[in-house]
Formats: sequence, structure tokens, C-alpha cells
Amino acid sequence: MNFEIAVGHGVRTVSVTRQGSQLQVSIDGRTVVVDARRVGDMELSLLVAPAGGADPVHSVDASLAARRTAGDFDVHVAGRTIPVQVRLAGGFGRQKKAGAAQGTGPQRITAPMPGKIVRVLVKPGDEVKARQGLVVVEAMKMENELRAARDGRVRDVAVTEGQSVDAGALLLVVE
Amino acid sequence: MKKILIANRGEIAVRVIRACRDMGIATVAIYSECDRAALHVRLADEAWPVGPSAPRESYLRIDAIIEAAKKSGADAVHPGYGFLAENEDFAAACRDAGLVFIGPSPEAITLMGSKTAARQAAIKAGVPVVPGTEEPLSEDTSDADVLTVAERIGYPLMLKAVAGGGGKGMRMVSTPADLPAALRAARSEALSAFGDGAVYLERRILAPRHIEVQLLGDHHGTVLPFVERECSIQRRHQKVVEESPSLAVSPELRRRMTSAAAAVAKTVGYTNAGTIEFLLDRDGSFYFLEMNTRLQVEHPITEMVTGVDLVQWQIRIARGEPLTLAPESLLTPKAHAIECRIYAEDPETGFMPSPGRIQGLRVPHGPGVRDDSGAYEGGEVPIFYDPMISKLVTWGETRGHAIARMKRALAEYQVRGIRTTIPFFQWLLDDEDFKAARFDTTFIDRKWGAPGSRLPQAIDSAHEDLAVIAAAVHMFTRSTATVVSEPVSIWKQAGRAEALR
Repeated sequence: MNFEIAVGHGVRTVSVTRQGSQLQVSIDGRTVVVDARRVGDMELSLLVAPAGGADPVHSVDASLAARRTAGDFDVHVAGRTIPVQVRLAGGFGRQKKAGAAQGTGPQRITAPMPGKIVRVLVKPGDEVKARQGLVVVEAMKMENELRAARDGRVRDVAVTEGQSVDAGALLLVVE
Repeated sequence: MKKILIANRGEIAVRVIRACRDMGIATVAIYSECDRAALHVRLADEAWPVGPSAPRESYLRIDAIIEAAKKSGADAVHPGYGFLAENEDFAAACRDAGLVFIGPSPEAITLMGSKTAARQAAIKAGVPVVPGTEEPLSEDTSDADVLTVAERIGYPLMLKAVAGGGGKGMRMVSTPADLPAALRAARSEALSAFGDGAVYLERRILAPRHIEVQLLGDHHGTVLPFVERECSIQRRHQKVVEESPSLAVSPELRRRMTSAAAAVAKTVGYTNAGTIEFLLDRDGSFYFLEMNTRLQVEHPITEMVTGVDLVQWQIRIARGEPLTLAPESLLTPKAHAIECRIYAEDPETGFMPSPGRIQGLRVPHGPGVRDDSGAYEGGEVPIFYDPMISKLVTWGETRGHAIARMKRALAEYQVRGIRTTIPFFQWLLDDEDFKAARFDTTFIDRKWGAPGSRLPQAIDSAHEDLAVIAAAVHMFTRSTATVVSEPVSIWKQAGRAEALR
């Protein structure tokens, strides 16, 4: 079974095949042998052998948390939390590459969590600089300032002060 | 005292319930709509609803809480920290209803709750204070008037809410031009958090340490100070890591600071648990900052190095018992303890709150580890309240030993489904200056860099490989097992992505 898995700043090509009681996992051409036991709904005990075919002895305790989009996970491994996106082979080759070239196009500023709009710091037509504050959202008793990723001009402001917003709600657009 | 109502939620409510259990006292929890299944409700003997999820309509409703206490037949109320813990009206309402308030008197809360009156009390006790305004600047004070006062004190200065605490309603101001905006922000935050927009100004001591002294006072005139806590590691003026003792405090300085703290408390006839906060300048001089008239979040580290259960003593003092602890032993740390506050915040996105359902939870155990938590697997972290979900405390024979245990415990700690500050602490504990205890209150601002910056403790490609292997094995073993319905969504999604090209 072949996957494309986005991690960090790249996409890795991964295949998994069964080999007796073990699994062979190949990442961008490097192959490891894995002895896998599912120890919980989203928890795995893995014994991993380095490429070359030694017995799998390197013990890796891994668990996953599903994120909002199907196939997106936070993987908890080696004391770290690492976000990954798993797709079938070819699932997002081009789409991901297009994403990397992004940095033009309008910025859609959305609410990262449900909350209340405390202050709108800009109005349509305003020129804004990268990292300039645009809107302040209150959630969990703290005020969080959302900033512009790049220089641009405010096109739309979709919210007013005092308004409650859901996670993902469009707040404003900078072009 | 047979039954105590805990006027709080989350991990501190759980902490107080545990102390009550240890003492054979029955417990009454209160809960808002979204907290019906919270851990403190599940662990208490009784639980009473007090209103909708917004704090103003539930955990801040004095009338509703007093009514719950009466109906449940509780004879005392523990306020925890936050919410109504430093609200003199609540303490007075308890007294008027014939309930024992487990904390200081309403008069002491009023006095020390006003930052300006507290400064005057410190001066009276002969304890130095940071130069600043003696009278509060009310909400109606014009910008021009505030600017005039600021000119007298000098820049940089701190703008603070008179009713403040926990870093809310506090701003640093470097130049007169920044003052009006900072004033607006501090007032609005103070008004929403404390219902009081009054502020005051204080000269900013550059690069100080934040050192505090825990106190217990009984109703028989005894006030006992404890070995200091080092609380300099702060973000947005909020403590995130605390330890005890402080490497910056010599035994001689400890004697002076703890005596000064006790003197302030005695001046105001303080009873129950309280904490005096000091700024420690580089030259070894210290200044009274404020008094917290309640239990502190970081109380466990004091418990770990002295062996005293502070919450049990709060209850014992409230029922009239005299303090029988040996004063000298409270000033002699028997270990080194460190606390990391685990917040539901994402350090990779400038500490944005990360509420939601905890899909999986693995809590660290083993020697020298204590986790004071309100979380459980399947539980929700609501958006309405403070995002702290647990306090992880470790102790060891030395500071190095305690830090090593903390690193081990953080590596074991898994909170799945929401983002937490655990990776941030892993970065912090590896920092050379932190390891050498070379820091002050500006440490995180200087070192962590701009919000949104990537974690300095970079995840290397070997870790990424492991994550990729785990994800691939997960998908593979799921899809070849009997489970059909769940993997379908991703195939569908992949198909859809294909179709959209």
C-alpha cells in the first residue's frame, strides 16, 4: 500500500508491505522492518530495525490524534508531537507543491478558535505590514492578536467588535 | 467542619477535593453547563449546578454559589484560586450566610487586594516597595493626567490593574507614545477580568527576578513564612515554570526576605494562606510587589520541599487550630522542586488557545513526579476558562536531579487531540542559561523569539521518519483489519481531491 505523507516541510513517499508477521516500510527508498502491535485504539508499539535487515529491536511508542481533516494526525513519538498528513499515493503531489509556492494570493484571516471579537484594528482599504495586528479575539480569558502574514491591503472586514465567532470563521481578507 | 463546598473548577477543585478526602471531610462541587462531566464533578460527593458556561453566569455568581452551599448543607467554602478567591464580597457573603470562608478575612482581602493599599501596608511594615503611584488612577482619569504621573515616575514603567493578578490588565510601557494604547488595553482587560478598570503605575526594575514567599497565619497571632519560590520564568507576565528554592537566594537573603514577608502579613493581621511577591534586583535588593490573598497555583513545589500539605493547613486554620509547624523546618528545603504549567495552548502558533476534546491522555508516573490535573481521556477543555489543564511537578535531591526528572516526565506525558505547552517546556529545559539558573523575568521574551516562530528545539528528520512510520503503519493495519467504515473517509477524501484537480 502506497502513501504520500507530508511532514515538516516536505512530502515523503511511503510504501507498506506485509512480510510474514512483520511489516516492511519504505520511506523515499529507505526500507525498515517493523514489528507492530496495536496497544490501543490509536496507540502502537513498534519495534523498528534499521534498513539492512537486522532484527527489529529499536522500541518506539507511538500514538496518534486525528485532526479535523481526515488523514491528518498529530503523531506523538519520542516525547514530541509531530503533525503529519497522510494521503494515498498521488493524493496531493501537485496540490502540495502549489502550496509551497504560495505567498501571493489574498490572505484569509480566520478565527483559530471559537471566541469573541474584542477589537478590529484595521478597516477596508488600510495598508498593512507583515506581522501588523489586524484583529483581537478573546478566548479562554486571554486576548489574542491575529496578525498579517505579509504586507498587503485590507479588502474585507467580515466581523464587528463584540461579535462571537466559531472556529474557522472568516474574519477579514488582506490582498 | 464536615462538608466543604469548593467554589471552583478544574485542577484546583480536584486538588481541594483530595485534601478534603484525606481529612475525611465531605465535598460539594459546583459546575457550569459545560462542566457537567468535568473531573471535579466526578470526584466530589455532591455536585450542584450554578448556571451557564460563561464565568459571569456561573463560577462568579456569588448568590448562586451561596445558595448551593446552603442547600447542600456545607459548613465551609474553599474558593481555590481565580474566580472569587480574592473577592471580598464573596468572603463576606459566606460569613453572612454562616459559612466558614477558607481564606483570609474580607477586610484583609480588601486591603491587600488593592495594590495601592497593599503598598502602603508594606511601607508601614518597613519593607521597600518599587517607586510608583500611591493612589489608584480611576477609569475616568484622562490620558493627559496619566501621562503627567508617568513623567514623574519615569520610563520604562509598568501599568497594572489595581484589582489585577495573573498578568491580566498589565502592560509594559517604554515611551510616552505607547501609553494611551497600553492604558486602553489594560483597562479593558482589567474591566472584563475583574470588573474594575482602575490602574496604577510602577517603575520597571530592569531584568529582575520574581521571588515569592508563602505564608500561613492562624487565628492565634502566629504567622509562618516558607522557603521562597523562584517564579521568574514568565510569559505575558504569567508564570509558567516555578521552582523552590531559588538559586539566587542565599540563606542570609532568605532570612531577610521571609522576615519581611511575615512582617507585612502581621501588619495587616493576616490569616490563612497568602503569598508575598517580591522583585529581586541584580544587586540583591528586593522590593515588595504585591500580596496574593489566596492559595497559589504553584503551591505544590512548597509542599514538595517542606513536606507540608498547604490545603489541609488552610482547612485546619479555618477551623481554629493553631499552627504547630516547626518554623525552622519550613525555611530549610529538603529537596528541589520544579513545576511546569501545562496549558492547552499551541506554542507553535504564538500560544493560541487550543480547546477541544482530549482524545488520549498518558500521564507520567514514577519516582519524584506529581501531576495535579483536571483532565481525563475523553474530557473536554472548554473555551470559557483559563487554559491550564494540569501542573506537572517533579522533585529531586538537587536542582539538576529535579530537572532531569521533569524532562523524563514531559517525554512520558501525552495529551492527544489538543495542543499543549509540553514542547515549549522541553525546549526550555534544554536551554543552557535555564540549566545554569541564569535568568530573570524577561527570559522567555528574549529567548523564545517572536510569536509564530518555529520551535527552537527542532524536530529532526529521524523523528519525522518515526512519525511517518507510525502514521503509515496505523493506516495500513487499520485498512487491512476488519474496520471498513473508518478508513473509507480518507479514501473518499483522496478521491475527492483527485476529482478537484
